[in-house]
Amino acid sequence: MKRFYLIGFAMLMAFDTLNLICFKLAGNHALPVEMSVEWLARVFSHPWIYGAIVGYIGAFLTWMSLLKHAPIGPAFAASHLEVISVMALSWWMFSEPVTVTQIIGAVAIIAGIVCLAFAEGDEEASTDAVTA
Amino acid sequence: MSGLVVALWIANLVLDTGGQLAFKAAAGDERAGDGLARWKYMLARPWIWVGIGCYVAEFLVWIAFLSLVPLSEGVLLGSINIVAIMVAGRFLFKEKLTPLRVTGILLVAVGVAVVGFGA
Repeated sequence: MKRFYLIGFAMLMAFDTLNLICFKLAGNHALPVEMSVEWLARVFSHPWIYGAIVGYIGAFLTWMSLLKHAPIGPAFAASHLEVISVMALSWWMFSEPVTVTQIIGAVAIIAGIVCLAFAEGDEEASTDAVTA
Repeated sequence: MSGLVVALWIANLVLDTGGQLAFKAAAGDERAGDGLARWKYMLARPWIWVGIGCYVAEFLVWIAFLSLVPLSEGVLLGSINIVAIMVAGRFLFKEKLTPLRVTGILLVAVGVAVVGFGA
């Protein structure tokens, strides 16, 4: 069962990461940003946008099957910790510089997400205790 | 960051929070019943459509936003949505803010501010 969760959380992160990378690629392709039909046509003419949609659907289905059994705290954390994988991939794929301020900000955000995940876990434990 | 980037960031925040709250309002209506009847009830009322509309608009705003900033920065700045949802849940649905939740919210907010001002 533990393995089921681990694979599930890893899949969730992978789909979210795929979604964001594809969004970035499709968006870059459609530059410059403008409020026009031409911009929309450029966005949807690029195959990456469909990769982003696959990422959305995959993440949604994984999330729904995880939530059936998995505790909400770790599920919440897994659904937001794609910031880590996305930062690593942006540095590697798009040669984006990783600055000191970015790392400080990322550490604070990740610590916050972990706190919120534990907060969800506590709440679930206490409602379970009440209903039991 | 340019004015357009800031405007897209705020629009994403408003649409994401608005969409989630609209879905919550649709799904949390206790008069809706169960099964197929529940879906019929929800689809006949505006909240679920408000949610879908917000998400469709957000999809486009998010692509535009990410194409204008480095992806690593964009995904960090987007974390502010977590904070907005929790705070809105507190006011609209009377959800509890425990000390651990407040700590988490503050850490995410500080992190976003650091990344935002550094950009």
